[in-house]
Amino acid sequence: MNETLTHDPSHADAGHGHPPKLVYQPALPIPNGKLFMWLFLSTEIMFFAALIGVYIVIRFGAQVWPATHQVHISEPIGAFNTFVLICSSVSIVLSLEAAKSHKSQVARLWLAVTLALGGVFLGVKAYEYGAKFAHGMYPWYPRSRIFERPDIYFGSAVRTRAAELRSQLDAPNSPLLASLKNDEELQTQLVEMKQTPQYARLLKALEEESKEPVVSPGEQDAPKAEEKEADAAGEKAAVNDPDAEFKADLRVWLEMTFLRPAANDAEHDIDERGLARLAAEIFPLPAPGVESHAEGLNDRLHWLKMPIVIPGGNMWASTYFLMTGFHALHVLVGLITFAIMLGMMPFTAAKAGVIENVGLYWHFVDLVWIFLFPLLYLF
Amino acid sequence: MSHASHPPTEHGSHGDDHAHADHGVGKYIAVFVALCFLTACSFFTYSRFWPFHQTPEVAWVFMTAVSCTKAMLVILFFMHVKYEANWKYVLTIPASIMAIFLTLALVPDIGARVNGLFGFGGKYSEERQEHTADFNDQVLMLDTSKEIGEHGEDGESHANH
Repeated sequence: MNETLTHDPSHADAGHGHPPKLVYQPALPIPNGKLFMWLFLSTEIMFFAALIGVYIVIRFGAQVWPATHQVHISEPIGAFNTFVLICSSVSIVLSLEAAKSHKSQVARLWLAVTLALGGVFLGVKAYEYGAKFAHGMYPWYPRSRIFERPDIYFGSAVRTRAAELRSQLDAPNSPLLASLKNDEELQTQLVEMKQTPQYARLLKALEEESKEPVVSPGEQDAPKAEEKEADAAGEKAAVNDPDAEFKADLRVWLEMTFLRPAANDAEHDIDERGLARLAAEIFPLPAPGVESHAEGLNDRLHWLKMPIVIPGGNMWASTYFLMTGFHALHVLVGLITFAIMLGMMPFTAAKAGVIENVGLYWHFVDLVWIFLFPLLYLF
Repeated sequence: MSHASHPPTEHGSHGDDHAHADHGVGKYIAVFVALCFLTACSFFTYSRFWPFHQTPEVAWVFMTAVSCTKAMLVILFFMHVKYEANWKYVLTIPASIMAIFLTLALVPDIGARVNGLFGFGGKYSEERQEHTADFNDQVLMLDTSKEIGEHGEDGESHANH
């Protein structure tokens, strides 16, 4: 396709001293590999433009959107990752230049640097994802722990989780119980609880309740069969259970902290504000512009894993993970390509075209991040 | 492949390529410094010294301009588009137009569903409205969070993201 014809054979012996010099001109004056890469990139432009466009339209069309610190996004980390990607873009062009100048070892070194920088980017991204997952923010089924508003659905989810914890504590040889005994924060909470006037009354009420197994409103959603078994086992062990007092205190604490505030029924008469207060105790939202994340019960007691309320949080999670996920996937593909090249390819000037094409792809990945960073971290 | 890496261009001569190689590294370093500076400019909107925290629109316009500049630097110099022949327009312009129209096409439906646009849209179904957070929820949550932050002894925040 790119052959250059220096002369036409049919005119070779026509007797003229200077046959016409015919030049074969391909449709686009670039190598096939490069043409393919640019065609691929032009589809990628549309792919990421769709994702970014959808994000912009959804974000600015939404009634509420969480501020960055409400969803535990760290701007300095994002800026660091931007810097890492810019450095990797420079290192891959330096690799290309070195290959063109026949410095194959230098070219190899710069590509290895690019591979390392890409690895750093993915590592930081994984750390960020881990922090989000730890707070119950993820976009997939069964569902993240994010609720949109402090309504009865949220209250019901809190009660379900509290009942779940209760049944875990009542199970024989509960691993949760063993870990909770060493939880200093929980001890503080229990000491505080014992100073409240409701404590003695609730303790008595719960003791009576456990004698006659009536399902309380908080346990409606819990797996009942398991609970009955646990109760039966608990009664047998209760005679000489060294943890009986601790368990009883924990039950009162769960009841006082979550079950009663979340019970939005006539008996307890908790309004939306009460539920919002409960949500804020579990996972407070820092005011926009505040430079750090607020700490709630979920942060201080990691085993709690209570549902959280972030207005607009679910749509945020969907768009955030979709865009950064697809970008990270592109980074990963780039890294695999670099690794294959480092393992199998001679870095000669003849192979500069391959480095150029892979470089084009890598710059495009950088380009996408240039738009994602301000959109996700700073807007 | 070897002569494929020196395709005939509009400028025609092979001398161009060698000229780029000679001045390449310096040029790339200059672009790198510019990109770092521009990233710092974007990040500046997050700092307490940025004067327009009350009107986020200023920061949005500023950051978009900075991002477009960064994107142009990467495309022109790192992707060598500045030195390519006119074929570059064949591939990039249609794709860019498609991308812009794709985004615009979303505005009447998704973008205008909640807040409306020129009197159109702006209506969720009742069921959807019931489960969607609105401005009041945001205010209520921030209010109660603040309340707990003020009264609770452990209300201090920390930098664990």
